[in-house]
Amino acid sequence: MKLYLKSLKLHFKSMLEYKMSFIISFFSQIIIFFSFYFVILSLFDQFDNIKGFTLYEVLLCFSVIQFGYSICEVFARGIDRFDRLIINGDFDRVLVRPQNIILQVLCSDADFVKVCRVIQALIIMVISLVNLNINWTIYRVICLLLMMISSIAIFFGIFLLAASYCFITVQGLEVRNVFTDGGKHMAQYPIGVFKKGFVLFFTFIIPYAFVNYYPLLYFIGKSNNILYAFSPLIVFVYLVPCFIVFHQGTKRYASVGS
Amino acid sequence: MKFYFSYFKLRFITGLQYRAAAYAGLATQLFFGLIFIMVYLAFYESSSGKNPMEVSELVSYLWLNQAFFSLFYMLYKDGEIFDLIKNGNIAYELVRPKKLYFIWFAKIIGQRLSAVTLRCFPVLIISFFLPKPYNMVLPIGLANFILFILTLITGTLLMTSIVTLYHVITMKTLNEKGIPQVFAAIADLLSGLVVPIPFFPHFLQVISNYLPFRYVNDLPFRIYTGNIGLQEGLFGLGIQLLWIVLIVGIGYIMTNKSLKRVVVQGG
Repeated sequence: MKLYLKSLKLHFKSMLEYKMSFIISFFSQIIIFFSFYFVILSLFDQFDNIKGFTLYEVLLCFSVIQFGYSICEVFARGIDRFDRLIINGDFDRVLVRPQNIILQVLCSDADFVKVCRVIQALIIMVISLVNLNINWTIYRVICLLLMMISSIAIFFGIFLLAASYCFITVQGLEVRNVFTDGGKHMAQYPIGVFKKGFVLFFTFIIPYAFVNYYPLLYFIGKSNNILYAFSPLIVFVYLVPCFIVFHQGTKRYASVGS
Repeated sequence: MKFYFSYFKLRFITGLQYRAAAYAGLATQLFFGLIFIMVYLAFYESSSGKNPMEVSELVSYLWLNQAFFSLFYMLYKDGEIFDLIKNGNIAYELVRPKKLYFIWFAKIIGQRLSAVTLRCFPVLIISFFLPKPYNMVLPIGLANFILFILTLITGTLLMTSIVTLYHVITMKTLNEKGIPQVFAAIADLLSGLVVPIPFFPHFLQVISNYLPFRYVNDLPFRIYTGNIGLQEGLFGLGIQLLWIVLIVGIGYIMTNKSLKRVVVQGG
């Protein structure tokens, strides 16, 4: 943990060396990010609800997912760009060091520009919470926190899976985008909006539904089932196979040489 | 002319080599297409008021968006050109007795056409055979189809002129991440790639009418679906041509100006 914090500090310092570039990309990210919200805002300008969900309910769902994804983009960037480590052979160096492999990969990169996305997601979250008139109870607070944490966990898991995929293909293929970008895009809306097959796939194969659909139902009072509030915990179970797959991958790893 | 055409051909053929990437992209494109359609359908089902587009029009529009995505998204960066600018190899380009602007123009258009040739047909074919209401439909008439093809071609030229322009701007700023990126993100938004233009709030529709971006892809796609009539379509074609002349002119003059004071980076 100490090691990780130290590497974060180093990445942050190296980022600040290029101050102007950092500031410019920070602000351009804000505008690019806005285009995601623009979709929802303009659609709700035309329609007043989507299968019974109102604007702020969808925005809440949206911000939870964006929050988890951008946290992973900031801190787990090393895993996101794992194919680079493999392609240029740097992964060999990781293997010889007497430290946890995943920790080392996490240390290898961090992208602080994306912090602005985290902030934006939090702002949107607060705006929607203020407008939603939530009947706050201790369970609802726990529910929201669990949603946010499990949102980080699920993207971390998917990044890990995509990284283990690189052991086989060497280069990260675009197919993974279906599960990261595509999944993210889909999970921005309450998943119940979609057709059955999609819902089943994203409940049992990749458990997005437990991040922001079932808990959301409880949170906004559409369901009284207390189990829904704790359903994000299932996502952590999902992390186990992700770690196992990654581990198997490292065992089978054959260096590409350099 | 022949010289620039050979640049185009070279890039086009090189681009066709990346077939695996294109097929992998196909899955993404189909997935995104389906998700977008489902979201819109869910909105349609739960609303009772008047919708800005018919379902069939909208679905075709969204599939066209996916099929031609690799041709029309503006956030496109030509790594080769940016490298030229950053590592100083631009000096070699300047030795050649040809116009730099048109070399870049030809390169970009070649690259993007090769990407779209690999991707658009599978997406279009598959989307035609999907079950209702997810399927794409044929254009409503022959005249519409011809006008669609015409505006698609001019739209491609317009897109290239815009993209070349911000590559030219990068020659000044030396950082492709700042202003050019913001420019491209706004362009993507106002071109209808993110949300179809008819779904925009009214004031944004008006604004987008006065900017070139809508004429890149929104115009041909809406002509195809019949959302825009023939007369309005022909008028749009004229506007497209005007914008092309204007933007190519600006880009050309800017290139010449900044070449006079070009700083060759690196050694």
